[in-house]
Amino acid sequence: MANKQMMARIGQIALVLLGISFITFALVMLAPGDVVRQMIAGNEDIMVSQAEIDALRAELGLDKPFIFQYLDWLGRALQGNLGFSYMAKKPVIEELLGRLPATIYLSLASLLFMIVVSIPLGIYSAVKRGSVFDYVVRGLTFLGVSVPGFWLGLMLLWILGLKLDLFPIVGGTVSLETIILPATTLGIAMASKYTRQVRTAVLEELHQDYVVGARARGMSEKHILWKEVLPNAMLPLITLMGLSLGNLLGGAAVIEMVFGWPGLGRLAIEAITYRDFQLVQGVVIWIALMYMIINLVVDISYNYLDPRLRKVR
Amino acid sequence: MKKMWKVSAAAAMIGLMALAAGCGGGEEKKAAVAKDTLKFGVTNFADSLEPTDNYFGWVVMRYGLGECLVKFDEKMNSTPWLAESWKIGDDKLTWTIKINDKAVFSNGDKLTAQIAKESIERTFAKSDRAKTFFEVDEITADGQVLTIKTKRPVPTLPGMLADPLFIIVNTKVTDRDYAKQGPICTGPYMVKDYSKAKAVMVANPNYWDGAVPFKTVEIPTIDDPNTRAMALQKGEIDMAINIAPGDLTLFDKKDKFYISSIASLRSVLARLTSAEGRPLHDKRVREALLSSLDRETYNKVLLKDTFTTGGPAVPPSLDYGFDELKDPNTYNMERSKKLLAEAGWKDTDGDGYVDKDGKNLELDFVFYSGRAELPLYAEATQADAKKVGIKVNLKNVDYNVLDGIGKRGECDLIISNIITANTGDPEVYMNWYWKTNVNGSNPQNGSGYSNPEYDALSDKLAVEFDPAKRRQYIIDMQRILLDDAATLIFGYPQTNMVSSTGITGAEIFPADYYWLTKDVKPAK
Repeated sequence: MANKQMMARIGQIALVLLGISFITFALVMLAPGDVVRQMIAGNEDIMVSQAEIDALRAELGLDKPFIFQYLDWLGRALQGNLGFSYMAKKPVIEELLGRLPATIYLSLASLLFMIVVSIPLGIYSAVKRGSVFDYVVRGLTFLGVSVPGFWLGLMLLWILGLKLDLFPIVGGTVSLETIILPATTLGIAMASKYTRQVRTAVLEELHQDYVVGARARGMSEKHILWKEVLPNAMLPLITLMGLSLGNLLGGAAVIEMVFGWPGLGRLAIEAITYRDFQLVQGVVIWIALMYMIINLVVDISYNYLDPRLRKVR
Repeated sequence: MKKMWKVSAAAAMIGLMALAAGCGGGEEKKAAVAKDTLKFGVTNFADSLEPTDNYFGWVVMRYGLGECLVKFDEKMNSTPWLAESWKIGDDKLTWTIKINDKAVFSNGDKLTAQIAKESIERTFAKSDRAKTFFEVDEITADGQVLTIKTKRPVPTLPGMLADPLFIIVNTKVTDRDYAKQGPICTGPYMVKDYSKAKAVMVANPNYWDGAVPFKTVEIPTIDDPNTRAMALQKGEIDMAINIAPGDLTLFDKKDKFYISSIASLRSVLARLTSAEGRPLHDKRVREALLSSLDRETYNKVLLKDTFTTGGPAVPPSLDYGFDELKDPNTYNMERSKKLLAEAGWKDTDGDGYVDKDGKNLELDFVFYSGRAELPLYAEATQADAKKVGIKVNLKNVDYNVLDGIGKRGECDLIISNIITANTGDPEVYMNWYWKTNVNGSNPQNGSGYSNPEYDALSDKLAVEFDPAKRRQYIIDMQRILLDDAATLIFGYPQTNMVSSTGITGAEIFPADYYWLTKDVKPAK
């Protein structure tokens, strides 16, 4: 990617972030109900006095017009200050950084699970198209994409944690022992989706003319599969994997709740429940940023992986 | 090769079936309580242990770290804790509080009236919420005697000092990170390590009120109720707070688990809009609606006995006459129909709903789905009311808009699950919804309900210091609400704590902040 193109992409990212920050701010602040009461009480039916609400409104500057509140926030954000979380009573950036390692570990572990499972299964299923193995894999992947994540998580906890006593049920900390079940839960849904994608991509490639040609030239099936078909089949999957990683890095709220995983997804739910607008802004900006950076990295990697793109330029 | 795949697939299927059949039986294992360590599964909302931030003081107390001058008993009566006794002066403004001479902080410092004074002042300096409890004119300290003079008479001040916002902290210690280490307090445990996800507490070697039973207490946060129940079944934790009602049957083996359950401080109620021009303005229609609803069945069948059937405004967890107050509008379908007929509502067009002046009797019922019981109550109301010819239109709204709808009275019924007496006294709650709203003087009463007799009792209550008289006023106020059919109390939710039989003393209190106490001990 040329420098000029790179600068244009970075400019796009900045513009999108600006738009997202404004929309998020507007949604949180202009949604029905009193944002200040919600910050104090969350979703609890407790009696909150008007004096307390008024004091907090003034303290947070929420008695100003909406646009001034946004500009205040934006001005600070541009200086690297994402604000202060009322819910956590600490700077937003500190709260985000505190949750980040758990989210990164869980994302990488589930991505690893997905790659290890989906690529061999997808390839073998394509190669053995129409076999019992293929039908079983297709059936299981259909199940995998259909079952809700929270249900699958609870079932894994029940069977592998409670019944077979193989894994701990109590999470809350980041360790090899506690990461396996949430990563597997996330990984199963992703692996099911990607196994089908890999299978389709490999099947498509296997029907290309160059494969017929290679066979006619007497190349071995092994060589055709590994050296010719796979590199081509994997290219479109890289984009999808990038998007999935971006998605994972935003946290997996429901799974994190079930397993008590201290990641960003859980933080996002808590922030929204309490309408902690500065924290909501921080989480959303982070998720958007991750998506766009990973997309950028995927685009750059295409340059190296696909020779056709290099030739065009 | 093909054969091998088939064998592998068959083996995998058998394995899965064995798993699903539950060959392990792990839940049958009895929880083994390590002699020195207790594991306690909780829910937690506090990122820090600064007791003046938000409601974080609740966690400081729940984890056995902090104590207050006053404590609530199982009927929410104020009893001595760090304070030995208290009395109100003749001016009705000056409270004299004697600090317990034995009380010491975990660092060995003695609790004096001076430190208690500084701790209360610190709370007022750091928390806007403190002023909503009472306003201080002056606090003085002399040895073990603390004097608090309030700006206006506050009959319930001892109960207010029992709120975890007023946890007594050692103000002499200034070099502490309250968020992570917590303050130096007087409770049986001290913080070793704290994060929102997990806390590790250790025994306070200087505890003033008896022996501390466990050397270490590990407190993991397990937000998901199913996961919490499984962890307790497996024995990974020794006790857990708030097991979901549907899961309680998992723990009914008395040789393995002990369930402590109590009616909480909450009431689930629907406020009835009785303003002029609304269908429920007519008392007979309100009575007819209430009599048409089989609340006992809702609580016994739909909610599996996890709620006590409603009647008076104040729940049975509080000592405000629950047993002596009789609800005149219990389930009685025939009475309901008769009352409607007396009020002029009859089904003249044969559509199944009663009507008057060409209009059906229709009521808008606003609810939200954030709490599982609310839609159930709403739907049951709709079904039962239909049997007497009242059409109830259900409106599911976002919780955020509920408060506004209630204040503006934009419906006929609006449901809430509300804490009635955080400070041990339901005065605020009783005024909040039913004291007459004169030109916005009581905005929470958007229902239009007004009864001069009720208001007069409320005014007397505001200045009454004698607990017996206060109790009687509150009982009388509830009786008026019942006689006026002013509100629809569906039920009072139970709260619970479940423990393995390896420990004793894990009892739940109506006040939701006495969890880990010195009384939770290993079983002998």
